[in-house]
Amino acid sequence: MTLAPSTRARPDDSGRPVPPGGWLGWISTTDHKRVGLLTAATSLVLLLLMGVLALLMRGQLARPEETFLGPHLYDQVFTVHGSGMIYLVMTPFALGLGVYLVPLQTGAPGIALPRLTLLGYWLYAFGALTLLAGFATPTGAHAAGWFSYPPLADAEYSPGTGSDLWIVGVFLAVTGAILQGWAVLWTILRRRTRGMTMLRLPVFCWAMIATCLMVIGAFPALLAALTLLAAGRADASLFASNAWNIGYQHLFWFYGHPVVYVMFFPYLAAVAEVLAVFCGRRFFGYRGTVLSLLVFAALSMSVWGHHMFATGQAANDYYSLTSIALLVPAGVEYFGMLGTVLGARPRLRTPMLFALAFIPQFLIGGLTGIMVGTPVIDYHVTDSYFVVAHLHYVLFAGSAFGLFAAVYFWFPKVTGVLLDEGMGRLHFWLLVAGTNLTFLPMFALGYLGMPRRVSTYAAFDGFGTLNLLAGIGAALLAAGMAVFVVNVLRTLHARRLGRARPAGDDPWDGHTLEWATPSPPPRLNFPADRPLPPVTSFAPLLDLKRREGSRA
Amino acid sequence: MRQRHIFGTVFTVEAAIAGAVFLAVLGLLAWTLLRHRGTRPPAAAERSERPRLEAYYVGALAAFAVFLVAWTAWQNHREHPAAGPRPLRVDVTGFQWCWTFRYPGSPAHRSVTGTCEGRDMPTLVVPAGRTVQLRLTSRDVVHSLWVPGLRYKTDAFPHHVNTLTLTLDRAGRWRGRCAEFCGQRHHTMDFWIKAVPPRAYDRWVHGGTATV
Amino acid sequence: MRRHPSAVVVAGWALLNGVLLAVLAVYGESPLVYWLWGGVVLVLALAAAAVLVSSRSAPDQHVRYRVPDRGAGAVPPAAAGLLLVALGFVYGHWLLCVAVPLLGVSAALAVRGTTARER
Repeated sequence: MTLAPSTRARPDDSGRPVPPGGWLGWISTTDHKRVGLLTAATSLVLLLLMGVLALLMRGQLARPEETFLGPHLYDQVFTVHGSGMIYLVMTPFALGLGVYLVPLQTGAPGIALPRLTLLGYWLYAFGALTLLAGFATPTGAHAAGWFSYPPLADAEYSPGTGSDLWIVGVFLAVTGAILQGWAVLWTILRRRTRGMTMLRLPVFCWAMIATCLMVIGAFPALLAALTLLAAGRADASLFASNAWNIGYQHLFWFYGHPVVYVMFFPYLAAVAEVLAVFCGRRFFGYRGTVLSLLVFAALSMSVWGHHMFATGQAANDYYSLTSIALLVPAGVEYFGMLGTVLGARPRLRTPMLFALAFIPQFLIGGLTGIMVGTPVIDYHVTDSYFVVAHLHYVLFAGSAFGLFAAVYFWFPKVTGVLLDEGMGRLHFWLLVAGTNLTFLPMFALGYLGMPRRVSTYAAFDGFGTLNLLAGIGAALLAAGMAVFVVNVLRTLHARRLGRARPAGDDPWDGHTLEWATPSPPPRLNFPADRPLPPVTSFAPLLDLKRREGSRA
Repeated sequence: MRQRHIFGTVFTVEAAIAGAVFLAVLGLLAWTLLRHRGTRPPAAAERSERPRLEAYYVGALAAFAVFLVAWTAWQNHREHPAAGPRPLRVDVTGFQWCWTFRYPGSPAHRSVTGTCEGRDMPTLVVPAGRTVQLRLTSRDVVHSLWVPGLRYKTDAFPHHVNTLTLTLDRAGRWRGRCAEFCGQRHHTMDFWIKAVPPRAYDRWVHGGTATV
Repeated sequence: MRRHPSAVVVAGWALLNGVLLAVLAVYGESPLVYWLWGGVVLVLALAAAAVLVSSRSAPDQHVRYRVPDRGAGAVPPAAAGLLLVALGFVYGHWLLCVAVPLLGVSAALAVRGTTARER
């Protein structure tokens, strides 16, 4: 194992030195750990903000004929909540996790294309600010939903700068995501350490390969859709043609479905790592899982039309075929997770609790996904609260639980200190109760006929009780997130004072290479005086511990 | 009501299967968590690859997917049969934020519209038992005509006509809604669809009222 | 094939996309979709070619690295410049008067190699 010849100052071209700890050292860092942290931290802050918007919506809908927000503000709030969660929270966090972890897991001292990775972060950060700046314009933020179909989103029906800023913000943020996707992909494919063959890559790295392939394949379609929308806002005659109206939907959903799996695979893989580590065994069916991830990702490129079943202008039979076919690779991954857990004696620490809850909760999202992938069911439930419930089970009850499993799991690696276990458990139970109380009633609401994106409903519609339940669930979610924020801030404060509980290099008995280096890892990831353990499988540290165990 | 029946069948089957799968997974998880409470961690002997078992469940999953794809595609085609002879044609136009229903075949070229504000909701009157073909378009942005009671919806695009064929077996009144977000008053864009006996329909289409 | 597994992964994935596109063609879709997905398959094929070229010129697993931090100081001004160019489409092209100098500064920083010095 030879690391890079360290960055000895070369007086001719290394330029003016800046202390690495200063703010300039952070904003222009080429250390993938810092870029990954910046990306993940920014998206976590935005997660809280988008959660506040969600609370406003649940407040508005808690009672019939409520006037707390009013239609125009409500439309802005749901648009920014949806856009924010997808473009600015779940996608960037997933990629940020990859930027931080992939070089560590593959034994590389740095990421490929570090400057482009950094540029990706800044484009994302500026894009987020631009999108949010819409609230400060006289006509308010964009208010045509996260998929913003024309002609509603054109200059005639959505006048105002807020919509233009939304386009610019999303364009920049997604460009940033594409750059980071390329960097992570190239790192896995071309920067692996000696002995790290493709079939010794951890499950998380394989999930990032599938994720990044979707990012580079599908995300440019969103840039095309946004360009089309911007052109249509400049020249309204464009959307006087049905070809461009339906064409926008094709372009958008060509991005819009794969992005769901971009917001899912990294979290699924984080859950897989957590399950394996806390069960003290290898992930079950590694090769099958790897293959299923790639097939899953390829199929995900072909299912976009199931968002368009009710348009009367899509090849419904094909999209239904590919959507239902997804159950095969998804089933393989579920058997993998179950095979890992069954018969084991799991240690129930906070990351494991989130990972275990992910299994049944995401399953609800997945099973209802097969339902909405069936045209005859979708004709009824599409654009209703059934779909809202389905997508929140996928993205919140599923992906966000994976996100928190990842945060609790890797927090000690990133900071060197452990989060408080008691508060973690409280966070977990509040989130489980809140999630199911908020989103389960929405299935019934949609079935009974409540359309999504309504700013209010009449008393005689009979939606009041179920919406009130969802509102109470949202309050529990808010309480849970408050506990999380206090936990993180208190731990970081204690760490600054030197009073936090040190985690050590490997607090959980991890399996992958990032646990074989100090916490937090040094600049080049692995200290020169501590050779990497031999990479004997996709769980090298587990092999090492077993060898030591059998020798003893 | 064809759509409602087919939806009912498929939804019941898929929901039952989904429920069974969910309970099985939940049961397995609960079993593994409760079985080992308080015992010592097991020895490190486990197999992480079982190719035969994996091939078996991949086969089972694939067979189930093939069944589901074929069966639901068949149901979807059953739901959209070729139009029977001489359906009643109604031209439906969605606009911000209400609906217009025109009866081009009627002697008086009847047309119904409204503002969808308060109680001023337009009513789409159709004869019970007869096939009705709605020709659906929009004057401005994309809307979607949804009748939750019939378990069916179709989008209304500007510069494009979609067709929605339905038959209401019995007299009655159902709520219709706009399902595609279409701007600030999206939530008020409701209408009624009312099926009346054929005689009453004939009276109405010649200018009478629809009170039956 | 065995010698370049990473290129095989990308190429195989592109091929899988091509197969799914071919199946879609059996069902029939609008021409826009063929152009879109066909273009994406092409991009993925190019990505596979790039990986292949790279893995032919260097071993599959690495032993030596360079820490590329030269010119990283150019990145924040470049991002700000790109933001201003994009905002120029909203607020008018006069913003280019600020954006172009900013991008110039960024280019100069990149050429001069100014960076935050790492340890």
